[in-house]
Amino acid sequence: MGKRMDFRKRLASAAMVAFVGLSGPVHAEQVTLTFANWATAEGATRDGMEKVISAFEAENPDIKIESESIAFAEMARQLVLRLRSGNPPDIAQVAGNDTFALALTKGLEPLQGYADAEFLGTLTPGAYEPLMMGEDLIAFPWNQAPAGLWYNKKLMADAGLDPENPPKTIDELNSAMAAIKEANPQVIVLGIDTTNRAFALQSNWPWIRAFGADPVAEGGAEGDEMQAYLGWLRDISEKGYVDPGRKIGEFRPLFAQDQVAFLWDQVLVQGVIQSTNGMSAEEFNQNYGVIPMPTGPGGKGYSFDGGHQLVMFGDSEHKEAAWKFMEYLGTNEAAIRTYTIETNRSIPPVKSIEDPAVAELLDTPVIETFKNDIIPTISPMPFGPEFAEYATVIMAGIQEAVTSDRPVADIAAEIQNQIGN
Amino acid sequence: MLSLSKPFLHWMVLPTLLVLLAIIGYPVVSTVYLSFFGYNLLDFTPPEYLGLGNFKDMANDRIFWISLKNTLYYTGGTVLVSMLIGTAVALLLENLKGPVWSCVRAFVVSPWAVPFVVVAFLFRFMYMQNGGIVNDILLDLGVITNPVSWLNRADISLGAIIVANIWATTPFFFLLVSSALSGIPDAVLESARVDRAGLWSTIFHIKLPFLRNPLVVGSLLMVISNFNDFAKVWVMTQGGPGYATTTLVVYVYRMAFERFEIGYASALGLIWLLLLLLVSVFYIRLLWNRQND
Repeated sequence: MGKRMDFRKRLASAAMVAFVGLSGPVHAEQVTLTFANWATAEGATRDGMEKVISAFEAENPDIKIESESIAFAEMARQLVLRLRSGNPPDIAQVAGNDTFALALTKGLEPLQGYADAEFLGTLTPGAYEPLMMGEDLIAFPWNQAPAGLWYNKKLMADAGLDPENPPKTIDELNSAMAAIKEANPQVIVLGIDTTNRAFALQSNWPWIRAFGADPVAEGGAEGDEMQAYLGWLRDISEKGYVDPGRKIGEFRPLFAQDQVAFLWDQVLVQGVIQSTNGMSAEEFNQNYGVIPMPTGPGGKGYSFDGGHQLVMFGDSEHKEAAWKFMEYLGTNEAAIRTYTIETNRSIPPVKSIEDPAVAELLDTPVIETFKNDIIPTISPMPFGPEFAEYATVIMAGIQEAVTSDRPVADIAAEIQNQIGN
Repeated sequence: MLSLSKPFLHWMVLPTLLVLLAIIGYPVVSTVYLSFFGYNLLDFTPPEYLGLGNFKDMANDRIFWISLKNTLYYTGGTVLVSMLIGTAVALLLENLKGPVWSCVRAFVVSPWAVPFVVVAFLFRFMYMQNGGIVNDILLDLGVITNPVSWLNRADISLGAIIVANIWATTPFFFLLVSSALSGIPDAVLESARVDRAGLWSTIFHIKLPFLRNPLVVGSLLMVISNFNDFAKVWVMTQGGPGYATTTLVVYVYRMAFERFEIGYASALGLIWLLLLLLVSVFYIRLLWNRQND
């Protein structure tokens, strides 16, 4: 009997030690953050994102990240519905108009209380300013992914063009496209997204602006400048320079196989090309280049930033921990290397990198062109509650211009009628 | 001994009715209710009562009328053509026996086993202007001289999607008609043979009357299914180019989940529901009249 009691006491003590040892100091204080993102939903970025999350958790054992994989196209819908039902995540990866649409719901936590002026001073100029809504910083700039005009040097040379002297104006681009089409009728001369979705309007917006048009300004949709842009698209479509209806991502493998001469796309193209055709960085630079958008009739060329942001939700019960994770994703150099540069092939929002190995990864002709020549040309987008409507209407008009013979003036008037004044 | 006519037994269906009310009744009532409001999910202010405002807007909404017209073309074209092809193929294969013809039957049915999203992607790639197999074949045959952008020309894109849909829907009618044909009593067919009825006479006067009810029910199912078909149109064209392939379901989706205009989307959904109810009533009356003949 005595032995049995002794055994029970020892068993109880061991259980107590195990309970305290395993769940005491760590589990009592550990917080779990829900992180809605598409990085872990896509095969190309899943591993990199998971590595960064693991590294963060190892450095911060008091914070556990519960990653919620949501497809890119579903993100806005899911977040809005979850906000409506009072069940938003703590943090979410967002982009484009979705960031601003979410901010309009007043469901986001303003970030200026976490990112003070000194911290914001460490970010690249222009990285966070577009994310200010009034006094509020509505999102944290995780990475930048502006667009430039990529060109295939071999196809240019085959057409008798100088690959080291790519077009600087849209007139020069027209001439170059004509020469390439004549020399190689099978290639897609210009890869440009003409699908009907919000991203396509983001992609087309700099071109629209290069023609001097502003379709959401009063009377702007049926103005001469917008008609000039639609007319240009009609012209290059009739000449067979563009392949309508392809999403921008569908041009990339073709660009890697010398099937596309010019490609209006984001900074990630180099990574996609190298992973598609196995080129080294040196070979890539010998075969491809990127320039800012050729200047249009308006005298300027523009770009757009298709980068990703991080938002924190006002309902989060662990805002300090959430900010810690957001800051880590955006500014920790190991995270920048693993995810932003090597996985997402984008540009980090920080001014300077201390680790020479990471800095070297950013010291490339392509990144230099983007940083010095393209990012300064980024044009503000008409983001807001009407952007989705603008996108549907304007892209439907662009599609009609590219694929039908309806008079351009009628298409422009139709866009104006749909948008209203 | 308990009888089914005992009143308390009727109450035993109450749980089922409650579940049905919750999962079918609530969304319908909620849609009807919201259709009278201006309600945007991004706007956290209370919904604004508009009365018939959404319906008045709809009457003047050019895209609504285009999408309604496209839906009717898409549904009507698909159901009619796939019913004709499915019936014809079923009649052709009806009396052909043996392992080879069994394989042919399996081959004919196989598109039905392909998920709609996969069908849409398959045809999207087949229709591509550059590298699409449809253009390659037509170019090789000399039918066309330049590649055609099947899904990106406003005048042919809806037809191109309908062709893909017919490919996916025909096996349904083939299966339906095949099973109905096997149900025709041998005695009837034997009588026709004794009366020296010819092939066409047998088909038109014996078999088709037997096929009428299955075809009415089958086409009703397919009308409802195609009226609501989102995946193929969305994957292949997203309703474009322009609005050339925008159907009601695509338009409702854009309104509800891209613009978050839940009030207007509900009004569109209500009209859509009423149209389907009208079609269903028409079909049910058709069946009813047939049974009363």
